[in-house]
Amino acid sequence: MIYEAKKYKIKDVWPETSDNFLFKIKTRINPQPGQFVEVSIPGIGEAPISGASYNKHELDLNVRVVGNVTNALINLKKGDKVHLRGPYGHGYPMGDFKGQDLILIGGGCGVAPLRGIIEFIDKHRMDYGEIHLFFGFRTPEDVLFKEEMDKWSSKYHLNLSVDKTEGSNPFNCPVGFVTEILKKAELPTHNSVIMICGPPIMMDKTIVILESKGFNDKQIWVSLERHMKCSNGKCGHCMVNGKYVCIDGPVFRYDEVKGIDE
Amino acid sequence: MGRFLKKEGHKDFLGRLKEHAELIAPVTRDLTRFEVIKDINDINLKGKNPFFPIKKYFLPNQENLLHIRKGLTKAVKEHSDKRIIFGARLCDINALSVLDKLFLNSDYPDQSYKQRRENTIIVGVNCITPPSEYCFCGSMDLKKESYDLLLHENENDYYIDVLTKKGEELVKYLPEEESDFPLPRTDKKLEEKNLELYFDNQYWENDSNLCVSCQRCTTLCPSCFCFDVHDSVNSATKNGERIRTIDSCHSKDFTQVAGGHVFRDTRLKRYRHRVLHKIQFFKEKFGRSMCTGCGRCIEYCHSKIDFVKTINENFT
Repeated sequence: MIYEAKKYKIKDVWPETSDNFLFKIKTRINPQPGQFVEVSIPGIGEAPISGASYNKHELDLNVRVVGNVTNALINLKKGDKVHLRGPYGHGYPMGDFKGQDLILIGGGCGVAPLRGIIEFIDKHRMDYGEIHLFFGFRTPEDVLFKEEMDKWSSKYHLNLSVDKTEGSNPFNCPVGFVTEILKKAELPTHNSVIMICGPPIMMDKTIVILESKGFNDKQIWVSLERHMKCSNGKCGHCMVNGKYVCIDGPVFRYDEVKGIDE
Repeated sequence: MGRFLKKEGHKDFLGRLKEHAELIAPVTRDLTRFEVIKDINDINLKGKNPFFPIKKYFLPNQENLLHIRKGLTKAVKEHSDKRIIFGARLCDINALSVLDKLFLNSDYPDQSYKQRRENTIIVGVNCITPPSEYCFCGSMDLKKESYDLLLHENENDYYIDVLTKKGEELVKYLPEEESDFPLPRTDKKLEEKNLELYFDNQYWENDSNLCVSCQRCTTLCPSCFCFDVHDSVNSATKNGERIRTIDSCHSKDFTQVAGGHVFRDTRLKRYRHRVLHKIQFFKEKFGRSMCTGCGRCIEYCHSKIDFVKTINENFT
């Protein structure tokens, strides 16, 4: 039964920011980087959420409070159960990227799926070259995975930025859009792959900068956001110009979706 | 191999169908529509194609997917009785081939759809003349498929094309003879064009300015299948169902994501998307057009928006 979801125990949950919560769920559902699961509370509904980890025994989900289901999810506590089905979709083809430098660019809660890629890279470090991370958030208070930033910064080229500060800047990071930071960065344009996840406007601006730096469309991978209702290529809600984001994506090589208008 | 049915044996044939299983066929009351037949004399094959297509017998407007009890879910046991749908035309029958591509997809088969397809015998009728001036199936490459039996009316008899064993069982009392029948012809035709070249054409906007988002086109289309999934529970007991309800890509919130952003936020985008999906996108993916040319979406549109005319005459 393609709509049947199974219940799993929440091992832990904590607020990352005022409107983002990290759930650790005991499950063997292990989305490949970029894949998503349908998370549900029976009686409230389902929401598609990307995996934010790469672990065979537990799944991390970053839940941003934006709708009915996510508002209900954050009332759950350690030991409660959630229902999951999945994983769904095509993620980033990490196997094809072996031997290349990886550049991960994320904005806001778009950083969560990229965390799954980082955990994948951690487990397969020898397969990849240099790792560049560009993570932008609105303010220092909105920075996700604060605890992990030091660890990532010691292992990889981390470029953390915030759009603005309304007081202190505990990360001592540049203030400005992630695109501005990217513009100034020196990046390996050959033998490298870029993975972007963030709001549509941030992705559009990022791609313009990358193209001006000499990257070609086949090096760039984007993750599209839609509200997948069935997640098995039927209901039509996530269709973009004939492509089902739920089964053909959500990750697409940029040349496959370049210039699509609706 | 087919069979021949004398015209005087017509009622006997319908009686046998009714004996075999629940019989559903077109009946004219306020409108002509498919309904369960109590008296075979009620069946009317003349005039217009039934207002509603047969898709509702395979994808009901509302359907329970999961039972929700005490915070847990349990799959709904699929159950469908055997039935015969008599009198569907090739446009509606070919629309089942379209739905099969999605709902019988081997990676993600939909069990309730599958069971209803297996439990339903389709006895179609071929159109000798188009039942409406809006029909354009003659240009939609219809196939002789997805039915069990199909009746083609000749002057003195019916030729019954037999495609399946289930169909064969129903007509084995009739004389067997090899024959053939022509597919329906229509005056109205949709010209084949690469619509990508006309994505920014002004006429999409001209047409969509007439659209009132009433969703008649998607409701009456034999192959429109978009649906929503949501939970419906009793507020006190918290027990209820996870439900699939028919939806329409013409509704504004169809592409709304959490947070409120709507991707297809104008009627232009929604109208263009539907036509492109029907004529182009589906064909690129599955090798056949999703539209089968029944013409209902044009005939019953409040504003008589005619995408066939637009494509033929204005996309040049």
